[in-house]
Amino acid sequence: MSSAPTAAPLLETHNLSFRFGVRPILHELNLRVEPGSIYGFLGPNGAGKSTTMRLLLGLLRPASGTVRLFGHDLARHRVALLGRVGALIENPSLYDHLTGRENVEATRRLRGVPAHRTAEVLALVGLAADAHRPAREYSLGMRQRLGLALALLPDPDLLLLDEPTNGLDPTGIIEMRALLRSLGHEHGKTIIVSSHLISEIEKTVTHVGVIQRGRLVFQGSLPDLQRLQTGRAELVLETENADTCRNLLPNLLGGATVAGSGTLRLPWLGREHAAELAAGLVSAGQPLYGLRQEQPTLEDTFLHLTEEAVEE
Amino acid sequence: MEYALPTAPNPLTQLGRTLVADTLKLRRTAALWLALGGGALPVLLNLLIFYFKGQYFVKPGTNPWPQYVGMSWQTASVLLLPMFVVLLSGLVVNLENRGGWRQLLVQPVSRGAVFGSKLLLLLGLNAVAQVLYVLLLLAAGALLGWLRSDLGFQNHSISLLPILRMLGHTYLATLGILGVQYAVALAFRGFVGPLTVGIAGIVSALTLLRWEYIDMVPYAAPTRILGMMKSEPQFSAAAALSPAEWYSLAWFALGVLAGYLLLLRRPVTD
Repeated sequence: MSSAPTAAPLLETHNLSFRFGVRPILHELNLRVEPGSIYGFLGPNGAGKSTTMRLLLGLLRPASGTVRLFGHDLARHRVALLGRVGALIENPSLYDHLTGRENVEATRRLRGVPAHRTAEVLALVGLAADAHRPAREYSLGMRQRLGLALALLPDPDLLLLDEPTNGLDPTGIIEMRALLRSLGHEHGKTIIVSSHLISEIEKTVTHVGVIQRGRLVFQGSLPDLQRLQTGRAELVLETENADTCRNLLPNLLGGATVAGSGTLRLPWLGREHAAELAAGLVSAGQPLYGLRQEQPTLEDTFLHLTEEAVEE
Repeated sequence: MEYALPTAPNPLTQLGRTLVADTLKLRRTAALWLALGGGALPVLLNLLIFYFKGQYFVKPGTNPWPQYVGMSWQTASVLLLPMFVVLLSGLVVNLENRGGWRQLLVQPVSRGAVFGSKLLLLLGLNAVAQVLYVLLLLAAGALLGWLRSDLGFQNHSISLLPILRMLGHTYLATLGILGVQYAVALAFRGFVGPLTVGIAGIVSALTLLRWEYIDMVPYAAPTRILGMMKSEPQFSAAAALSPAEWYSLAWFALGVLAGYLLLLRRPVTD
């Protein structure tokens, strides 16, 4: 189940575009999801994540471009392909007048899944004890878990989960992450999970796609994303008076920004540059309290990616 | 690495599964109670009328059944039955309006199966309600024979054939409303829209009853076929379909086609 580059992608879109009326929403999206990966689909609210998820499931028709699931065209083989897909789109849509078990049963019968799966998925998401209660009495977290149970019902090869941690409390979020990891790593499921917070999924995912204003601004493995940020490391320098230092050493500190009265930040250029800077400061008679390299967090990288696209 | 294309269940299996699921979803819904209990209202009203005022409607010594059945049928068909179909179709479709569509349409069933299943469900519930109505009507007549023996229900009978024919005519006459309202309910994404259209249709039909083209108005069809029931010289009902029924069938076909296209092309954004 490794993501060898030769493996055919389990899900792939080719120049996928979508518009509401004349308003363009997605621009030529080329997603590639390897089998066995947990693909984090990230972007701020309104970037087009839900629209993309709906296109991947055939709920919306693309303006142009194609979606291929398991190597086959979704538009031509929708019913056959959806038989191997489980999905949770936004807040799960439950029938409030039915109990939790009846909600699962309705979908089970619709899909023709064996009867024993109902109890299995209810147990898997921890709702067995509450299955007899009407869904209208469920908390948001319970509804989310019931929605996940519905998605897991057919034991799908591909799971599409749109913001599955929405409305969950911290324990619920941790449980959801553990469940996703177990589904991905132990059961070999391929999972696409969308979120607007990288911190929520960075410990879970193997691959990341970042969408901003309907454009894919990054796609790759988590190590790829981490490598991307090494180029953006910063040198943080602590001294007595930041302004004075910058004026004294215009050549070395010209590109630095003053981050505080005694703090300067500048792009990390290498060890030699750091040493040169230290020597320069000391010879200029300025105190050097600290000098360190700072890696941006994944969150910074994510924000940077999404901000860049805004500035375009 | 190539993936084999999974096999899709055949269209009939898809339709069957969707229908089974849709039937399960009816549990504890207003739609189900309406279908099971809707026929009781006109029967109850006429039972009370005959119990308290029966002597004004039934000439002593004559068969009270034709008068009783005719009055009750009129109560049911003019307003209650069209209203019932409007409510039923709105309620059945509305079950999916709180996000149900997106859950339903990401399942491995075609949109045609989803559409067909709800249509069959509506046709079935409509039939159940009308058959229950007739059974209740006959039972209430028998009850009147026991409660008001002076009216003579117990001494006379009514032939079933005209009643069954009227049941068939009435069912066909409601299909036009059902088809149109199903399409309207699919077009609107709530309950109020189809209800408004339905009430407007019923009120217009009742206002236009003397119009020469009233047979073309689907909401008037159940009223228009009342004339097929004759109590003189004996209780009877013609077998042939009336123009109102043909138009009703045409409206049904049109509504079904429009509704299917609506659902087929609908972008699921809710």
